[in-house]
Amino acid sequence: MKRHIANGVKIVDSHYKVAGESKWDLKDKLLLGLTPWQYIIQAVRNPFNWILAVIFAVGLPLIAIRFIFGLASVTNSSYDYPWGLFLCFGLFAMVPLSSSGFMLGTTVEIFGRHDFEPIERLALLNGLLGYLFAVVYLLVDLGQPWRLPYPMVVAYGPVAVLFLVGWHVATYLSVQVCEVSVSFFEWIGFPVGKQGVRKITLGLTVSGIILSTLHQGALGALFNYAPGKVHPLWYSSAFLWLQFFVSSIPGGLCMVIVVSTIVLKTMAWRCDANFLDNLDKLTISLAKGASMGLITYLVIKLMGIAHDNKWEYLATGWGAWYIFEIGMGVILPLILFAYSIRRKIMGLIRFSALLTVFGVVLNRLNIAMITFNWKLAEREIPRWREVIISLTLFSIYLVVWRFILYRLPILYTWKTADERATAKEPARGYVTGGETEPAMAGTYRSRIDERSGIAAQQWP
Amino acid sequence: MYAVRNWLIGGVFMLALIASPADSRAKDIPDSIDLGSLANLYGKVKFNHAKHIMLVKDCAECHHHTTGTLVQDADCVRCHKNSGATAVVACKGCHEAQPFSAAALREKSKTAYHTDRLGLKGAYHQSCTGCHRRMGGPTGCQDCHARNKRGDAFYSAGAYAQPQAHEEGKLPGN
Amino acid sequence: MKRRDFLKGCIACGAAATLGVSEKAWGIGSFEGYPDGMGVLVDLTRCVGCRSCEAACNKEQQLPAPDAPFDDKRVFEEKRRPTEKAYTVVNRYDTKTGGGPVYRKIQCNHCNEPACLSSCFVNAYTKTKEGAVIYNSKVCVGCRNCMIACPFNVPAYSYSSALNPVVKKCIFCYDTRLKYGKPPACVEVCPQEVLTFGHRNDLLKIGRDRIKEKPDRYVDHIFGEKEVGGTSWLYLAGVNFDQVGFDTTMSNEPILSNVKDFLGIVPMVLTIWPALFTGFHLLATKNKNHTNHEDGHSEQEDHKP
Repeated sequence: MKRHIANGVKIVDSHYKVAGESKWDLKDKLLLGLTPWQYIIQAVRNPFNWILAVIFAVGLPLIAIRFIFGLASVTNSSYDYPWGLFLCFGLFAMVPLSSSGFMLGTTVEIFGRHDFEPIERLALLNGLLGYLFAVVYLLVDLGQPWRLPYPMVVAYGPVAVLFLVGWHVATYLSVQVCEVSVSFFEWIGFPVGKQGVRKITLGLTVSGIILSTLHQGALGALFNYAPGKVHPLWYSSAFLWLQFFVSSIPGGLCMVIVVSTIVLKTMAWRCDANFLDNLDKLTISLAKGASMGLITYLVIKLMGIAHDNKWEYLATGWGAWYIFEIGMGVILPLILFAYSIRRKIMGLIRFSALLTVFGVVLNRLNIAMITFNWKLAEREIPRWREVIISLTLFSIYLVVWRFILYRLPILYTWKTADERATAKEPARGYVTGGETEPAMAGTYRSRIDERSGIAAQQWP
Repeated sequence: MYAVRNWLIGGVFMLALIASPADSRAKDIPDSIDLGSLANLYGKVKFNHAKHIMLVKDCAECHHHTTGTLVQDADCVRCHKNSGATAVVACKGCHEAQPFSAAALREKSKTAYHTDRLGLKGAYHQSCTGCHRRMGGPTGCQDCHARNKRGDAFYSAGAYAQPQAHEEGKLPGN
Repeated sequence: MKRRDFLKGCIACGAAATLGVSEKAWGIGSFEGYPDGMGVLVDLTRCVGCRSCEAACNKEQQLPAPDAPFDDKRVFEEKRRPTEKAYTVVNRYDTKTGGGPVYRKIQCNHCNEPACLSSCFVNAYTKTKEGAVIYNSKVCVGCRNCMIACPFNVPAYSYSSALNPVVKKCIFCYDTRLKYGKPPACVEVCPQEVLTFGHRNDLLKIGRDRIKEKPDRYVDHIFGEKEVGGTSWLYLAGVNFDQVGFDTTMSNEPILSNVKDFLGIVPMVLTIWPALFTGFHLLATKNKNHTNHEDGHSEQEDHKP
């Protein structure tokens, strides 16, 4: 892409190719304003795509095999370890990392901190995609995924914690789709939708906080069903749900830092000055928030051990592993954050954020898979096919991330100043390509003219 | 002349003595009993009663206090201190063939005693194999009753076994 | 708001219904089992490991043929658990007490307050009044939370099926026998009468009587009387239960109790959070130019260079 831009190709960042004149249509928007050939070239030149190609070549057939032949063909299909990598990584680990949606939403909308807006949309998108792909992983893992709507419409088991998780995730996905739809409507050119969503943003945000608190906690409460099966150091009879909720806070914030770092390194061309100039400052603020979350989390983890008096387990092999998880995932990031925030060492801040993300993922994997059934003699290692499918799904997640970030006004601001100039003109109700837009007299004229080949009129 | 008559009387008397059974009740004791209540999975048990009488001697070893030495067990003495022998001595007289049918459970719930009485099959096995284990008698299932075809199908054994079972050294899993 | 109230109502009613006591709130009610519930007393001192119960279950539930005949004793060389093809298994434990091996039959224990039932979000499990915990495969989504929750690691899953994988476990022969008052197949076939079928309350009495009459033969404990809220399948043994594979660290509380606190918090959060965060919002933005109608975004656009 950078080569294309250096050669002078103009990337879509507003409705218009040239201000006031020809308009991008949907195909242009999808191809980023490049010709199809240019698009293919940049895709082929990208080394990341080569890795993706290999992963998809192996992984997509495996996913097909899973659905044709059943779970036994790709998992260890264990009775003692019913939940494998799909759920433990794809759902339990990705959901806390996707809590950024409600956190940045709350920061901006509830607390009125509009200085966080440059990163808000990225955080919202992180939240949406994380939850969406958690559901995708779930669909691959469920025995009968076509029955996923059952707890909503067919049979209710409201005493089950999973019932709550199901309803909340479904509702929260809707909330997040609405929140991200603002960017989508800007991109697609549907201001009515955008205005509509903006009106209910406060309600959406409050719903988001409620739903997130409960289902982040509920994922923890799921393991309260198996008190003897999760190792005592990780299990807390009273506080497990709280520990899951509190750890999702640094998890989500640090995930935003990690994502913004990746964006910075790989698609800086897509970011506008608003994003880039504010990024360092916002990263530091996010890191401060994550630090507070981390120290809180550390204390409540220790309180969990004290509450059930499990200190002697620290002296065992599992105890060493626990100390490693806390040390690498919580204490070390805390120290690094403390050092680097004060001195504004961006590289170190970003590295600590990565450590925190690993720490949260490791915590979830420990509870759901690694220390699960700690009393049983055999540990189960996920089958290699499971690993590849998880990797493939994660790659699809990255591809979707990239697809959206390349196009929607997440990292850059959609140029609509000229649009606003004509917004007050009476609607002509012109229907073009299936969408009705109010006003925009000049745009329609220029668009129709372009199509019929008549020279574009000057913008009034 | 009188000597011959006396000899004859003595001889006939001795013959009668020898020919008559040892016990006056013994005309009811079977020498061999066919136990056939085996859910059609096994052939009949040909139970050699006479042999067991010779080996065990005291009827009460198997027949509790219904015959032979009477009540000894402390838990039984509580009520049966003065009980005598019973009219029905066979196992099936007290031990139900279907101890857990709804009717049997109803009966049990009406009484305060003998609520833990074994069913017929359980009584046979616990009594027989219990003693066999102590005394070195047959303890395997087929030692006393051979499986018939239906039994083979039931146990997925013999002609109905799965092919893997014949592989050497392979541990049968589930 | 309506959906949240619906959810709250669902949780409250569902919990009340499951707990079997109306209007009693969390923490007070507990379910001791249906009064006429049946059960089975398993006397491990009688079992000789003939595996007839496994064979009977296999036939009654129309399970696939096993890899090895049911009279093959080589299976005892490793410890087994119930699978999708075997709802009950017998394991052998060689204890050091010198009384010979002890055999133990494993199957669903049909708990009074089953963990599987409590954790199922489509209500696929039912505790019938006869005492059986049965499963409705028509609504099961395959989340396998019941397998996580069961403290006895009983439910198995037919992973090998692509189109209709379902949970597989002992159902107390409910459909074919228990419903009609008949004992399950394994009970009927057992030659040593290891399994005594009857009303759970009566079985507890019988068990206690056996222990009282022969205190040298039995350990003074009926496993399942109180564990995880009580189970319908009760065990007597002649050696300590942890030597024959039982988890003796189980609490007497049903598994559901572990999540009751969290479930109780749910309506609290649903109620308190809206007011709390709206309050934060009002407090934080009173004197700022914050509106939630026209965008902060559009303000920024105006300031764009």
